[in-house]
Amino acid sequence: MSSTAMKKKVLLMGKSGSGKTSMRSIIFANYIARDTRRLGATIDVEHSHVRFLGNLVLNLWDCGGQDTFMENYFTSQRDNIFRNVEVLIYVFDVESRELEKDMHYYQSCLEAILQNSPDAKIFCLVHKMDLVQEDQRDLIFKEREDDLKRLSRPLACTCFRTSIWDETLYKAWSSIVYQLIPNVQQLECNLRNFAQIIEADEVLLFERATFLVISHYQCKEQRDAHRFEKISNIIKQFKLSCSKLAASFQSMEVRNSNFAAFIDVFTSNTYVMVIMSDPSIPSAATLINIRNARRHFEKLERVDGPKHSLHMRMR
Amino acid sequence: MGSYRRIDCIFFSEFHPTLGPKITYQVPEEYISRELFDTVQVYIITKPELQNKLITVTAMEKKLIGCPVCIEHKKYSRNALLFNLGLVCDARTKTCALEPIVKKLSGYLTTLELESGFISNEESKQKLLPILSTLLEELNVTGACTLPIDDSNTIHLKLIEQRKDPLVVQEYDVPVFTKNKDHFTKSQWDLTTQQILPFVDGYRHIQKISAEADVELNLVRIAVQNLLYYEVVTLVSIFQYSNVYCTTPKVQNLIDKKCLQEECIHYVSKLGQRTNLRDVFQLYCGLTPGTTVRDLCSRYSHQLQRVDERKLIQFGLMKGLIRRLQKYPVKVVRDERSRPPRLYTGCHSYDEICCKTGMSYKELDERLENDPNIVVCWK
Repeated sequence: MSSTAMKKKVLLMGKSGSGKTSMRSIIFANYIARDTRRLGATIDVEHSHVRFLGNLVLNLWDCGGQDTFMENYFTSQRDNIFRNVEVLIYVFDVESRELEKDMHYYQSCLEAILQNSPDAKIFCLVHKMDLVQEDQRDLIFKEREDDLKRLSRPLACTCFRTSIWDETLYKAWSSIVYQLIPNVQQLECNLRNFAQIIEADEVLLFERATFLVISHYQCKEQRDAHRFEKISNIIKQFKLSCSKLAASFQSMEVRNSNFAAFIDVFTSNTYVMVIMSDPSIPSAATLINIRNARRHFEKLERVDGPKHSLHMRMR
Repeated sequence: MGSYRRIDCIFFSEFHPTLGPKITYQVPEEYISRELFDTVQVYIITKPELQNKLITVTAMEKKLIGCPVCIEHKKYSRNALLFNLGLVCDARTKTCALEPIVKKLSGYLTTLELESGFISNEESKQKLLPILSTLLEELNVTGACTLPIDDSNTIHLKLIEQRKDPLVVQEYDVPVFTKNKDHFTKSQWDLTTQQILPFVDGYRHIQKISAEADVELNLVRIAVQNLLYYEVVTLVSIFQYSNVYCTTPKVQNLIDKKCLQEECIHYVSKLGQRTNLRDVFQLYCGLTPGTTVRDLCSRYSHQLQRVDERKLIQFGLMKGLIRRLQKYPVKVVRDERSRPPRLYTGCHSYDEICCKTGMSYKELDERLENDPNIVVCWK
């Protein structure tokens, strides 16, 4: 593993009780949604370092959202908090009754970001969407998104609707983390090569601990645009259930007459999912191919800069 | 008793689920400025690692002593109740004696909350304000506070001033009461102390007290050390007419301080008589290196008509007006092959050697005077 891992500072801010620590615990600390009920309030800032893909360290700043803390962030702690920020994730509780106050704090954040880290990427999560009636969700989210984009100018923000109770959480965090991976283009290029060689319909690459999708390839359009985060969610839950029984999840094969899907440990930092729709190709062949590709992808992870081109020999 | 450590303010701080850390009550009102609280709040309502620990933080010329408490339970909003009852003093104040008070108060409040939800219940929480008021008042004025909270709970607090560690008590030391022995309530003390008390007369040394009271030597030493800690007795040396004393610079106090003069005259005068300052002062000044008490008695017989010389010496030692010059034998010439001296090292006085060996002063003197290998130092 590279000893000169890139460190990226991620600010996680939002009103008290909006769900920041819960989200962080599910994505990075193997909590299941139900467990987050036990969490206490975050006092001031909780720092955590998360190793990601071997060559990236996410420096998470989970900032308690009570008024006293927020006021401090904008005044005495301003430089400390808002300098060198790579990503700002601002969490809004969709049920909040104090929309004006929420916006006021959000804008103060943006001001401080503009002054101290103007290149930071901004993500807004409209959270606890499960508390909104299903048929209202799209509408309410669209409203909020429009407001936020307008309020954020001249800065740009990307909005997601999330809930800890479904896959939307994974979609948001996948997209966020994707922006932070240093050599993501190269990863995608190699994944495409691999997929084409083995004639797969689709290949997904997951980060090993969080099961966030970090790269994917598909050779044709698929029906469900949300399948990635759904898979993340399902497999992660399954993986956690296994560990509760003191068993560790290694691999899975799912097949029917239309397709075969293989989920397996790939490199030391990733899992791979390969979907084959050609029934004539035996499992063994696909598994061998996956095994052979491992070494090359492992090498890719260990390398510092995007200088290597990868040659793969397949049988 | 020394003056009590001045507590400038008592406050009750808690974590509010949406407002965050705040001061709910403080007496006197508005004592802690917004700025001060912002500076130190992270040590008042703390992260889990610092909870349930006594924390003193100094900022802006103030010292804040508190103990942040965390009670976890799902009935509380955010699954925990966080609060801190603390004291504020001037930054220069010595606050060691206040620390046990703060710890005890945090324990009381924790118990009250666990038993009856005293703090989480808005109504009963309001009782805290008058409680804080009373605490501040009583601790500052009397150094103690007894405060009933509800039917089953009463707060008992007392400021205990820390004293210096007492000296080790040797067998040849003589304990003498610094205050009037009659004012001593025997029953408040332990049995050992009670047993040796009749023998503490300012003349008997520890070894003698042990023999006459029939109490083991070490127990007597410990009991007297205890009395020493509480400044009930002080230690002087064994009185003998062959003793030599000399004055210290403190003897000047006898001239300068009227109350000391009165005390002295009262103490040293023979029963039914009253001496005067002039005589007493002359006597003290008559004590010089080389002059024994016996010599003093023969030279100043006139002044000693109304003065008890034993009491004179005792008073002088207790008040530090005079000090004893002891003899320390040193073996200077010694055969290479013989063992190194055990007691004749220059570190052990005649008093000590006599106590340890059972020899009398006279016997020891005779033995050492005739030994050409031994030199005696006075110090």
